[in-house]
Amino acid sequence: MTVRVAITGIGAVTLPATGGAAVLAHALAPPADGAGAALDPERIDRVLAELVEPGEARRLSRVSQLALVAGRLAIADAGLAADGALGLVIGTELGDLRSTIAFAEGYLARGASGLSPLLFPNTVMNTMASTAAIALTARELSLTIDAPGIAGEIAIARAAAFVAAGRIPAALAGGVDELDPAVAAVLAEARGGFAVRGEAAAFVVLESLAGAAARGARILGEVRAAATGALPASPYGVGRTSTSRVLARTLAHAGVGPGALRAVYTGTNGDGRRDAWEARVLAPVAAAPRIALARRFGQSSALGALKVAAAALDGPALVYGLARGGGEAALVIGG
Amino acid sequence: MRRVLVTGLGAVSPFGAGVKAYWAGLAAGTCAIRPATLIETDGFRCGVAAEVPDGVGGSSRRSRADRLAFAAAREALEDAGLAAADHRDTALIVGAVGGGMLEAEAWHWTRRGRPVRGPARLGAVRSILPSAHAESLGHRLGLGGPRESIVTACSSGAASLAVAAELIAAGAVDVAVAGGADALTRICYMGFSALKLLDSAPCRPFDRDRKGMSIGEGAAFVVLEAAEHARARGARGYAELTGAAMTTDAHHVTAPHPEGDGMARAMRAALAQGRVVPGDVGYVNAHGTATLQNDRIEAAALRAVFGEGRVLVSSTKSMIGHTMAAAGSLEALATVLALVHGLVPPTAQHEHTDPEVPFDCVPRVARETALAHAISNSFGFGGQNVTLLFRARP
Amino acid sequence: MEPKEVLDELKSLLVSRLKFDPRRVADLSMETPLPKGVDGAIGLDSLDFIELSIAVEERFAVPMDDSEDLVPHFATLDTLCRFIAERAPSA
Repeated sequence: MTVRVAITGIGAVTLPATGGAAVLAHALAPPADGAGAALDPERIDRVLAELVEPGEARRLSRVSQLALVAGRLAIADAGLAADGALGLVIGTELGDLRSTIAFAEGYLARGASGLSPLLFPNTVMNTMASTAAIALTARELSLTIDAPGIAGEIAIARAAAFVAAGRIPAALAGGVDELDPAVAAVLAEARGGFAVRGEAAAFVVLESLAGAAARGARILGEVRAAATGALPASPYGVGRTSTSRVLARTLAHAGVGPGALRAVYTGTNGDGRRDAWEARVLAPVAAAPRIALARRFGQSSALGALKVAAAALDGPALVYGLARGGGEAALVIGG
Repeated sequence: MRRVLVTGLGAVSPFGAGVKAYWAGLAAGTCAIRPATLIETDGFRCGVAAEVPDGVGGSSRRSRADRLAFAAAREALEDAGLAAADHRDTALIVGAVGGGMLEAEAWHWTRRGRPVRGPARLGAVRSILPSAHAESLGHRLGLGGPRESIVTACSSGAASLAVAAELIAAGAVDVAVAGGADALTRICYMGFSALKLLDSAPCRPFDRDRKGMSIGEGAAFVVLEAAEHARARGARGYAELTGAAMTTDAHHVTAPHPEGDGMARAMRAALAQGRVVPGDVGYVNAHGTATLQNDRIEAAALRAVFGEGRVLVSSTKSMIGHTMAAAGSLEALATVLALVHGLVPPTAQHEHTDPEVPFDCVPRVARETALAHAISNSFGFGGQNVTLLFRARP
Repeated sequence: MEPKEVLDELKSLLVSRLKFDPRRVADLSMETPLPKGVDGAIGLDSLDFIELSIAVEERFAVPMDDSEDLVPHFATLDTLCRFIAERAPSA
């Protein structure tokens, strides 16, 4: 990487905790992989009702509200000015399927006059990025990355690369997924097990280290290296290869040996076969303590930013993600 | 930053399968927008669309969009002539929007007692997501590099090329397969209809009497390759991708910035990357959807960047409709082929240029022009702008 | 339809189609401007207006002619109610 990439802010809306670095540091502190206390699933709805103004809420689907609140928390945490010089890279697995179903239902129930123009833009998965860009005044690139399991990790790796290349001065990167019972039921019926099980939104703010220092920003950590790739596997299946060139390359690029890692943040989430595969792939870094955040925070595309945040707060650490189907992402985060 | 060549092309378009059929249609200025057969149009004013003709190929267990994507990606890879060993590190960046929605709709409609054209299988819902294409393609083509599905509405196909180019320029990979795919869907058709953005006749981009868009479907992929890697294996390539820029209007979820601010910024950034001045660009393949708003604002942005009348402008959507996630890549392909053949594809159905569009829109007949540099614009719903700049190979 | 009935139906459309909070809508007066950018308006933008015109067309059977300039009719709740009362087919 040519320009060093600093992490200057974190923001998240999750069942256990909502807030910026201070609040999340508490929720992410070891042992962060314990099961969360039984939490009221409606807590996130209450957070949204509190933090999204009615005028805004009227025009934002629920998953877009989730993304926006987390994005705002991250930007405030970073103390970044809303001057347009911000890119967005948002990872998601399911996007706004709830709005897609509602849009279709409008037609099925009442014909053409039941179609809602207000809902239509939400049927394209970039709606969270599109609405967040408007609310946050983000005029650089805005990308939405759809992937099973590790969309958040991929988004952060992608954003870091754009910052490192000098293409954008700062980026909000991470992921969001909402858990809609109707959507979940249909997908479970059709796909027999898919990655999203919880709902949350989490983002980190990335900027050039020099830029961050120049504006006196608090530096939480650094993205020392990041890479994505794919191990051989059938779609949504578990593969047999245990050697990850992405892992090796990322560690080499960061100049960090396995012994120097304070932790490895994994994707262990109760999907036994996938968890076992990942464990085999991570054998080269077996000496470092493994921390899995999915138990406490739920499996969603927000995990990428949560893992990176945890790594930044207590680094240097490796963040690794391996999805069914073989998609993988590795990031070395310096504390 | 390393230089990026286009070394393989693949397409499935409303003109049929293959790049050859695609270019033949474009060069002849043929309009492929016809009465729709894939979706039900009763009760709606617009009954036309640009559909890929019969014989998409592939197993009927796969979604139509997956089959379009596979045919185009495979053609591109074969065209590039890469060794099998290269596949292991090759990136796959796919622009997608509808995913397997067409089949998922058929299933859902049938469940609710509505008649549909085409089969309705629960299994189809398995591949509903935009990421399904990359998951399937990556596995079938044995691609082990970065695998990412990019969703930026109407500019997804172009954004995929921009992301892939960045991966190569930064040295993360040497080779990438990048492009987009979309099949017709009821939701897309009904949505644009509800917004009153569809013309009931084939669309007329930049025309004074234009009345809206036509929807289409297809897929196109290119192989992008680091110049040294291509040179080392003796591949000349078709053109060089010298600039790729993405900006966001951050203005409104459906309406573009009224002065085309984001569009102009994307074009200027791409030109700056390629170290090209506006005067060097001979052709702009426009986003040109034929909506009243897009064409007027895009023309204003073009004027701001190039000056009046200083560049040829045409819209491929006049022939193949708006192919959604495939648009950015099908149109990038058209731009590359224009450079290769020294022939600018026309704007079909163009009779009277709108006075607010101070450009030669290459009406109805393709124009022979030696070109050194050309750009392709894709401006997605919600203000997600992508400009790709290509240079003719020497 | 009586103007009061029209007003009540319009208000329910603002809730059901445009997702306004019912309490907010209950407080609206006839003079409340609709479009964004006008002082004291409920702040509808172009997309809201498309949604509202479809809803009015469906609920009141008032045909919306694209060639006619309908903007003045959508200026306030009052102008909209009159427009509907004039154009709706008699019961």
